[in-house]
Amino acid sequence: MTGYVLRRALQAAAVLLAITAAAFGLFYAAPADPALIACGPKCDTGQVEAVRHSMGLDQPLAGQYTDYLRGLVAGRVIGDVDGTPIDCPAPCLGYSYTLHQPVLDAIGDRFPVTLSLAAGALAVILVLGVGTGFAAALRRGTRTDRLLSGFTLIGASVQIYFLGYALQYLLVYSTGLFPVPQYAPFGADPGAWATGLLLPWLVLGFVNAAVFARLARSQMLETMHEGYVRTARGKGMSALRAHLKYTARGAAAPLAQLLGLEAGALFGGAFITETVFGLGGIGKLAVDAVVQNDLPTVVGTVLLAAFFVVLFVALADLVVALLDPRVRLA
Amino acid sequence: MAEDHSDRLFGLPPRGPFATAVRAFRRDRTGMAALAVVACCVLLALAAPLLCALYGKDPTSHYGQDTPGLLSAEGLPVLPNGGISAEHWFGVEPGLGRDVLAQLLYGMRTSLLVATASVAVIAVTGVVLGVTAGYLGGLADRAFGFVCDVLLAFPTLLLLLALGPVVRTRFVGPGENEPAWMQFTVLVLVFAAFGWVPLAMVLRTTVRALREREFVEAARAAGASRRHIVFRELLPNVWAPVLVHVTLALPGVVTAEAALSFLGVGIDEPVPDWGRMISRGSEVFYDDPTYMVFPGVTILVFVLAFNLLGDAVRDALDPRTAR
Repeated sequence: MTGYVLRRALQAAAVLLAITAAAFGLFYAAPADPALIACGPKCDTGQVEAVRHSMGLDQPLAGQYTDYLRGLVAGRVIGDVDGTPIDCPAPCLGYSYTLHQPVLDAIGDRFPVTLSLAAGALAVILVLGVGTGFAAALRRGTRTDRLLSGFTLIGASVQIYFLGYALQYLLVYSTGLFPVPQYAPFGADPGAWATGLLLPWLVLGFVNAAVFARLARSQMLETMHEGYVRTARGKGMSALRAHLKYTARGAAAPLAQLLGLEAGALFGGAFITETVFGLGGIGKLAVDAVVQNDLPTVVGTVLLAAFFVVLFVALADLVVALLDPRVRLA
Repeated sequence: MAEDHSDRLFGLPPRGPFATAVRAFRRDRTGMAALAVVACCVLLALAAPLLCALYGKDPTSHYGQDTPGLLSAEGLPVLPNGGISAEHWFGVEPGLGRDVLAQLLYGMRTSLLVATASVAVIAVTGVVLGVTAGYLGGLADRAFGFVCDVLLAFPTLLLLLALGPVVRTRFVGPGENEPAWMQFTVLVLVFAAFGWVPLAMVLRTTVRALREREFVEAARAAGASRRHIVFRELLPNVWAPVLVHVTLALPGVVTAEAALSFLGVGIDEPVPDWGRMISRGSEVFYDDPTYMVFPGVTILVFVLAFNLLGDAVRDALDPRTAR
């Protein structure tokens, strides 16, 4: 197991390094001049040159990249528009000249929103997605199965931007059944936190649960007829217990992997959900950064999102290895 | 020569796998209904100019601004339900006052064009890379796996969002207006750059299993070239997963394109686009909810039909998943 964990960690680190290089190359090689954007429209050529120098943009790309990496690991000092040094401690993701703060601070300010949104949505996904999938598999071929499959198919086809606005109109604006979606810090008032995020959780969870329901159903159907489940049933175990104890475990590996991917994606920011419900999380930060051409923030949020995906996928792989000895011995 | 014998020697079954799949598909009522809806959508998109000529509207005229009595001073439709009338069946757009039905029809062209072009590129790239990696194995396969890991870890939507402008600025000078075909090309390329990964990964696994099968070994023993093995022995055996993937990838591209336009970086005005209609609808949602319902429901029906069609295709091709 230790060998497996080490190998997996090394692989994750290699992927992350490649991602930093790719993200850096993609965005900083772009002709959109970050210095010009940072400086603003009032700058003359001399000032832009000065900004370019203080941002280190006059150095070769490879040098800028190693600087960036060094900042990530050990922190660095970045020059502001007027040349004053800004201390950016590790892990330094750069400095946003649009927001006038280090990218990491900008992310940190908004991370609680994204974290709350992702955690609640994941809970909905697990209960709704895996629950309906298992129920549909147990009732295979019946009306319940068709009803649940239809339900998940709608979830797979409906768009967050449409469902989100429609529900806000019907449930909040017209009838007042739900409170207005907003973020209240969990520490201050857990009740307001939960009620404010309830609708976003349900919408984000429902739309993403469909894939899980379908995977859970097909995995259950595949493992249901394995010999070890039949044996358990033959020895007198009730169907429900046998399926919960043996079938569910056999079907869990692909679900864990999908959940890892999903969790990684959600922690990196739910762009559309945050826009629809007016929540100021990482997704909103990233979208705004793209619109305003704020390159350091764009690269920072891309890296953060990629980091979460790599992290959660690796964690999911570990869970799978724990569940299934064949994986870690391979 | 070997090509001819390999088929004759073993003989085809009385009914080929394709004919079996078509028969299974025909018996699937949901699948046939989905196919009808999809075909209907394609026809509507192709015939959009004709239909709009019959209907007497075009998607770019600002009817609401040109004709008094359609829009109020705030730019909202005067008639109830988004200004639905005998003249404008689905109402008029708030603000600019364009005809909603005409915009929807032309928006379907935009969606389908981007989606089919992207899926075509995805299919070709995915097949070439997946089959190559699966067949070669070894170092090529490891490199392939690494690239897939990296691409999968990228937040796709954010990258699509951020890359569009980056790619565009590379080809369009400052102050220049980029032509519409350039926007389409950029979108297609960016979608394709990330979309090929799942298909290629599936094909790589399939080909790795196929490579060890007797018929490939037999071809190799008979002295078949590598090209023959890849094109004549392996490729004909992977068309089923490719077909399934393509049908399910198409609605994915449609929704991704709409999402990009919704977030403000898709196809620009004046090319009609569903995502931009939703985005405009969200601005005036509480005053004129009808305007958003039309593109929202259209996307839902469109994507639902494609998902059902994809499921039916998969069921028809793979009897194991049959309900």
